[in-house]
Amino acid sequence: MRYKILTVDDSKTVRIIVKKAFKTYDCDILEAGNGVEGLALAAKDMPDLILLDITMPVMDGVEMLTKLKADPQLKGIPVIMLTAEGGRDNVLKIAKIGVRDYLVKPFKEEALIEKAGRVIDLKPLSEQPAKAKSIYDSADILIVEDKPVIIQQIQEGLKHTPWKVQGVSTQGEALDFCNKTPPDLMLMSLSLPEEGAFTLFRLMRTNVKTKYTPIFALVVKTEVGQQQQAQTVGFSAIITKPIDIGELESKMCKAMSLDTSQRYFSHEAGFLIMRLPENCSPSVVAEVSNYLKAKVSEAVDAGHARMVIDIHELKTLHMGVIKLLFQTMQTCRELTLQFALVGNAHIITECKGFEDTRNWVFYSTVEEAKANLGKGTAASPQLATA
Amino acid sequence: MPAAAEINEPLIREYITRAVSDVFKTMLGRVPAFVGSTPQPTGVDAPATPNSSRRLYVVGTVGFIGEVNGLIYLYLEEPFARLCTRQLLGMSDAELEASGDEVINDAIGELTNMTVGGFKNGLCDAGYPCKLTIPSILRGSNFSIEPISSASRYTYTFDSGGHKVVADILLKAGD
Repeated sequence: MRYKILTVDDSKTVRIIVKKAFKTYDCDILEAGNGVEGLALAAKDMPDLILLDITMPVMDGVEMLTKLKADPQLKGIPVIMLTAEGGRDNVLKIAKIGVRDYLVKPFKEEALIEKAGRVIDLKPLSEQPAKAKSIYDSADILIVEDKPVIIQQIQEGLKHTPWKVQGVSTQGEALDFCNKTPPDLMLMSLSLPEEGAFTLFRLMRTNVKTKYTPIFALVVKTEVGQQQQAQTVGFSAIITKPIDIGELESKMCKAMSLDTSQRYFSHEAGFLIMRLPENCSPSVVAEVSNYLKAKVSEAVDAGHARMVIDIHELKTLHMGVIKLLFQTMQTCRELTLQFALVGNAHIITECKGFEDTRNWVFYSTVEEAKANLGKGTAASPQLATA
Repeated sequence: MPAAAEINEPLIREYITRAVSDVFKTMLGRVPAFVGSTPQPTGVDAPATPNSSRRLYVVGTVGFIGEVNGLIYLYLEEPFARLCTRQLLGMSDAELEASGDEVINDAIGELTNMTVGGFKNGLCDAGYPCKLTIPSILRGSNFSIEPISSASRYTYTFDSGGHKVVADILLKAGD
């Protein structure tokens, strides 16, 4: 939903500053130069929020506010006063008429956004809405953890990613960091003193810039009470210590809505290559499975008629992987795509041990598989008809 | 209403220094330094503003009326007024050039409005409720502003990165 914000101020300068402040948020700014224009626009466009100055020609802000609150149609529109008219008595008098907040000029744009964000559900505009972020794009990750060794462990575990993983040890440092660079994802230790993580979580959720940032809780596996509390509060995910980095990375990708398909699928000279990693955890199997149909269809659409299923890096064969391989072969058949398997000696031996996979034929390298697929001698249906 | 404090020169200096600092720091990221004051007894003629030179000035004016009445003039040399406008609105030199003087007038009017707002909010909280008037702008290179005889005048100079900002305050006690 795109919100409408009406700024009523006789100063064009202020109206420009307001527009500038909200430029990166999903909202439209309407402008009026005095109370009369403001009331007319409010009635016509029914804005979601009004930012109102006091000292204006024709009709001042107090009169406009009084009329607005007396109009049954308009009285529900929230108003934030944005004015140089401060002073305790003035503020109290105007607050009694009915305003949601009061911001005295001079003001910082961040303060205006923060106050507006408390009234309407402001969402930052995505910089590149059309393009999904991929696993190969950079991202800012912030870890809030008072134990440096945990920060180090996560940084080490994620160093193969293009992500910038930074650690801080206190709430204050985290707030400073977020004010300068709102992160793409946060990891917060629930062991911060005085329930600091919960306080910080609430602050993040009231800040427009971090309102939608995925926040993971880091907690010791046995601290069941804290885990429940974190779930109730609304943490995006719970990561238990000791940390399984693979699992963490997978959850982070999901939370940041990253396209990870490029990890497993690629196109090489007319071939679609599906490559499974060394450790194929259930989450990896689920990820590949989710992309499978779309990727194979995409390849067929692009004119590719051959696919290499490369599992030579795989260490262990388990039921999840076998099911995924069957699903892949079935998808290929449905779309009349030729395919061939590439495996290592250990996997080939394991396959021989199962009734359903004993007839699978493997090539040693991707190049060998491609060459045979090219000749039309590979990937005969019996390769995968178990 | 709080008990009214005496509006004396130190109080005026404190309020205007705070107001100028707040506005320039918050809106422009500048930290102006207090340079000096020229307290003027009631009825003196020549203001201690830079009116004698031929430089072009942009002067914002905002008044306040209530238990205490007055006017504050904020003097900025024209090149500094342009610079402030660009910083305030995030405009390039070319964009400002294309927009014309009206944008500069409006920006300096708003900076003055905020400064006088800060000053008069101090007066309100000290027990002198008053309200702001609408800003106006004076432009020129050779003019002087002279108060009526019953007004007190206080002039303060600030330095912002080598640029001079002068706040000229005219006060008239409420009847």
